[in-house]
Amino acid sequence: MANDRLRQLEDVEKEIALVLQSAGTIVLELSKEKANANLLDRQLNQFQTSINRVENELSAQIRYLTQVATGQPHEGSTYSARKDCQMALNRAEYARVKLGELARTCEMMLDPQT
Amino acid sequence: MATQRVLPQSKESLLQNYNKRLKDDIRSILDNFTEIIKTAKVEDETQVSRATQAEQDHYEMHVRAANIVRAGESLMKLVSDLKQFLILNDFPSVNDAISHRNQQLRALQEECDKKLISLRDEIAIDLYELEEEYYSSSCGQWDGVELPLCEAFHRQDSWGSSSTTSDPLHPNTEDSDRLGTQESLQRHLNGHGTNTTEQS
Repeated sequence: MANDRLRQLEDVEKEIALVLQSAGTIVLELSKEKANANLLDRQLNQFQTSINRVENELSAQIRYLTQVATGQPHEGSTYSARKDCQMALNRAEYARVKLGELARTCEMMLDPQT
Repeated sequence: MATQRVLPQSKESLLQNYNKRLKDDIRSILDNFTEIIKTAKVEDETQVSRATQAEQDHYEMHVRAANIVRAGESLMKLVSDLKQFLILNDFPSVNDAISHRNQQLRALQEECDKKLISLRDEIAIDLYELEEEYYSSSCGQWDGVELPLCEAFHRQDSWGSSSTTSDPLHPNTEDSDRLGTQESLQRHLNGHGTNTTEQS
């Protein structure tokens, strides 16, 4: 489904932000006098994992598009179903209006003083 | 034919361009980050004074950090282009989306029509009762041009029962039977059976 692929691409965007954030955290930690080795290791692992994930995911998407894309525009449409549905809703609305008129007429007949 | 040959090539070249951008940006991020870490190492022996070396290192790190950010932005633009390409050219998912939407709209249309038909049936039952009441009273005499609903049902039933029963000239018993069933049906539907008899 298209939604899955688009959701995967949104996850890739978050991963790219994670790459930049972890790179910045590493440089910030190195700038201190006493750098925390554990934090450095964790951030470095995070950086490497994220950048590998970004590369693999985007390569997979481009490979899929190479297989699936043609040069032609898609000519599918939902117009006919939409038109039929619209006509059905118009029929229901017309019936509602007519019943409303009938109800008003009945009320007028029952109570002509108002 | 010439135009058809041109379009797939542009799609191919577009996808190759995407690949190249991806490789270049990832390479740029990794190289610049590696160089920043290398430059962060403090060296004892320098060709120029420490202050100059520090200033140079500071400027180099600044530029490399800007390169990393630029590569990150370029990757985001690539993801946006891929999303656009996917929406326009991923035919399987576009077909799925179209068929799903068609199904939804058809289901809504069928439900609407089903409700209208049941409404029509209910109103027909009420109309039958009202016409029978009206045309059996003194003010409602039909001239035989427009057949009221109740009379149409009477005739239909008399045609159908003439072969089985021996007294087609006694519609009153059929009337009372039908009234009884129709009254019970009406009471079941809207509870106004007693009201109509009171009004007449």
